[in-house]
Amino acid sequence: MEQLLIKIGQNFFLIFGVIALGGATTMIFAKNAVHSVMGFLLSMLAVAGCYLSFGAEFMGVAQLLVYAGGIVVLFLFVVMLVELSKAKEKGLFQRQTPFALALVLAGAVAFVGVFWKTLFGASAREALTLAPGLVAQGEKLGNAQMVSRGLFAEYLLPFEILSVILLVALVGAVVLAKAERV
Amino acid sequence: MPTPTLTQSLVIALLQAILVVVFIFVVVPLTLYAERKVLGYLQLRLGATRVAGSLTGLTGFINRNMWKLGKVPMLSYWRGIVMLVGDILKMILKEDILPTKADKFVFFIAPAISFCASVIVFAAISFVPGTLFTLPAWVPIIGGLPVSGAIGDVNVGLLWILGVASVGVYGIVLAGWASNSKYPLLGGLRSGAQIVSYEVPLTLSLLAPVVMSGSLQFGEISRGMAVGLPFWGIVPQFLGFFIYLTCGFAETNRLPFDMPEAENELVAGFHTEYSGMKFGFFYLAEYINMVVVAALASAFFLGGPWLMPFGLHGLLNPFFSAHLPALLVPFLCQPHAIFFVVKIIFLLFVYIWVRGTIPRYRYDQVMAIAWKYLIPLTLVNLLLAAAVRYCCAV
Repeated sequence: MEQLLIKIGQNFFLIFGVIALGGATTMIFAKNAVHSVMGFLLSMLAVAGCYLSFGAEFMGVAQLLVYAGGIVVLFLFVVMLVELSKAKEKGLFQRQTPFALALVLAGAVAFVGVFWKTLFGASAREALTLAPGLVAQGEKLGNAQMVSRGLFAEYLLPFEILSVILLVALVGAVVLAKAERV
Repeated sequence: MPTPTLTQSLVIALLQAILVVVFIFVVVPLTLYAERKVLGYLQLRLGATRVAGSLTGLTGFINRNMWKLGKVPMLSYWRGIVMLVGDILKMILKEDILPTKADKFVFFIAPAISFCASVIVFAAISFVPGTLFTLPAWVPIIGGLPVSGAIGDVNVGLLWILGVASVGVYGIVLAGWASNSKYPLLGGLRSGAQIVSYEVPLTLSLLAPVVMSGSLQFGEISRGMAVGLPFWGIVPQFLGFFIYLTCGFAETNRLPFDMPEAENELVAGFHTEYSGMKFGFFYLAEYINMVVVAALASAFFLGGPWLMPFGLHGLLNPFFSAHLPALLVPFLCQPHAIFFVVKIIFLLFVYIWVRGTIPRYRYDQVMAIAWKYLIPLTLVNLLLAAAVRYCCAV
């Protein structure tokens, strides 16, 4: 019993990963757009589970809060309000297929090229981090404290530049919406 | 103290989960009953009295005579409680109608999402710091082990609560869509938009306790706001408490913000097509969400499981331990889950009180309150919290 539970505990990542893949598959192959969004939601929840199984609790819960709780809701709203007619939908996706296939293949080749060694050999000795000092601090501090120290003390400027990119997207949305109304 | 093995800790977690579910299923029906009665008294009537009231036997004898004397019999105050059984039986036994054109799977899963999200939130809520009780040695697998006051008082507990609660919106929106009918769709979208909007000021108002206690762990925030400051959290955070409670009312779709159930506009909102126990799950989810909001408010602003307000711990505890009987001392001076539950129940009463007092807002007013007034107020409140933190944390 004890051994079995420990075994399950060690393989949580695998379990959640399979669920996430299942959700993603549903999202792609579902006939109905709302079912697709539900598959996407399942996938996002399972990815949060993956983060939690690695002990990255802040990351996992932020995933839950931002993606599952915020962004997918917006997806759902848009899909429910702007219901595309079936014919239009088909035409759109058929034109995309060759490009999408080519891109996915290129992505897969790049991924396997980079991770070939770790996929079938021994894993890397040390985790790839930008600031090894933070990892040492993380042993003492909590997960959330470590992330915030990284974001607001060590990498404040890059972080703020990233938020400017988000601002650009916001301004762009306002401009587009305004142009339509006038 | 022995370290529990993995099996033992899982069994303890299961026990705690059962305790939480029992707590929910005791508090929620009683809230339903209290809602009828308190609302009745607020509107100068008796509330539910007539169901299953007997005119025979001793009870009937007292009742009849008191009525004759022109008084409301004391026993009739409790008579409506039998109505609860009727309510529950009705939900379970009523025919479960599935609309022909509904999306069957989504229609089926939507109440489950709503209900599960509201229950899972309790995983991170800490009822009392440390140990709730220690199991006696004769219990089979887990004898002699302590049961802590929280299922998992994790490092990011508050974020967990907010994250899981925000998943509950899907239940409402998907229910509206899956019914394949106009009113539910509009109701679902409307309450979805309302919940998503009010999540912003809700989260911002909960940021103030986080700033003041310097932690995201539920028990730690609760401790910081109750005894870390020289007074309960509500004193420096009165504005925050008010904003939080307002947003909590809107999040749980209660009056004066019960947009999805504005009958004159939307029939019954997102659950128009639901009946039987599927509707029952939405109903339960609403009341469980109320309990969650009340739990957060009482833990962060009303001192949580600590009884003594206003820094009286240091002053009164030596006095109590010197003069009171030994039985009472640990009860009064230490945090206790009962105080936490009593505060939750008081806040549930406030819910009903507000429902009986304040009229419903119009939809555009609801949105204006969230975006134009509450969000700027929360930012001011956050500055206030930072100032208090700066002054108090020497």
